[in-house]
Amino acid sequence: MAIARSHTATIARNEVWSGEAVTEPYEAGWAREAIFFVRALEAVGPLAGAAAQVQISADGMHWVDEGTSFGLPDRDGAVTFGRVARFGNWLRLRCRVPDGATLRVVAALTLKE
Amino acid sequence: MAHADPRLSRYDPLGRIIYFDDFDEGYNGWVGLIGNYEGSLDTMLPGYQPLMQPMLSNVTHWDTGSHGAFDGTYALKTATRPVKGQQNVTLKRITFRQLGRIQFECYFAFKPEANTMQLSELDVRSIGVIFDLQHGEGGANRVMPHIRYLNALDGVPMAKWQYKFRRQPFHDIGGSGKTVSHYHLAPEGWDDVPGGAQKLCYNEVPTKINWHYLKIGFDLKTMRYTELRCNDRSFDVSTMLPMTMPAMANLWCMLNVCLLVENDADKRSFFYVDSALLSGEF
Repeated sequence: MAIARSHTATIARNEVWSGEAVTEPYEAGWAREAIFFVRALEAVGPLAGAAAQVQISADGMHWVDEGTSFGLPDRDGAVTFGRVARFGNWLRLRCRVPDGATLRVVAALTLKE
Repeated sequence: MAHADPRLSRYDPLGRIIYFDDFDEGYNGWVGLIGNYEGSLDTMLPGYQPLMQPMLSNVTHWDTGSHGAFDGTYALKTATRPVKGQQNVTLKRITFRQLGRIQFECYFAFKPEANTMQLSELDVRSIGVIFDLQHGEGGANRVMPHIRYLNALDGVPMAKWQYKFRRQPFHDIGGSGKTVSHYHLAPEGWDDVPGGAQKLCYNEVPTKINWHYLKIGFDLKTMRYTELRCNDRSFDVSTMLPMTMPAMANLWCMLNVCLLVENDADKRSFFYVDSALLSGEF
């Protein structure tokens, strides 16, 4: 019996998010489920209300909110995540960071058949 | 035996297959390159910071849908960010058992992101293959053969194969004295492969994909190229030198193969590999 394949891709590494930020498009049509993890390397300023929205796309260029959202980490070392399934092929995060705040992050996309 | 499997029949492996990676079956150990760091990610050389992870692509476009791979559904896709001059590298890391001839083959295609209804044939700067090799323990050198197909440069068509032996300086990373880094991907320092002009099958819109065959041979005994072939053309490699530097502390018997893509416009460039085969004579 074949075991289910899984894969984790680091989709943002040492990136600083402020205002609105999006991750690069990632193709994951082979996977049935995904978890976005966001870890704060450095959280600066008023981060209450900072949030990520999962987005999907048919072509990797035109994006729509998938409906899943989650709060972004608000202190150094904190981790938050959002789960999605039945997402088709393309995935990314659209993130909003309040004015005056910045987040230096490592973000990972964990995929599983 | 190769003809019993159509996937292998289109390859010309040496005596022993070291790996045959069909990306319909997964990533097979191909991973995004990361620059060396120590203590903080900020210590990484700037050129390595933007590099990203590869993905398994069904090669989908807005106008037609999924193109699929040479066979099956998925190809390994290495993508740049949408900023002119950006690069990305995907690689597989193994070690060798014996000094001898090795040969890398793959079926590949490259395209820019199809975000304009224009031919866009000059938007991908290059695709390339790099070996990262080091002699066994006590040996003399780390050797890094670099080959690229220069498609375009600053909007000017180039359509030629190049190699690079000129080195970049090493930099200390962190403070322990154990870690160094050199930006061997730097855009300067490439030389033309003798007689290396070749036009490929870009096709007529950016969403049509044609797969190409590439073969690069190298001899680990002599540390010289033995072959460079793309589709119907085989090039004279006899005068081509690999990038060579003194052996490093923790890289003995290293045999890495790297896939390079560079863009030439403020849009993403995609380097697709349907499958890859590394073989050896040992």
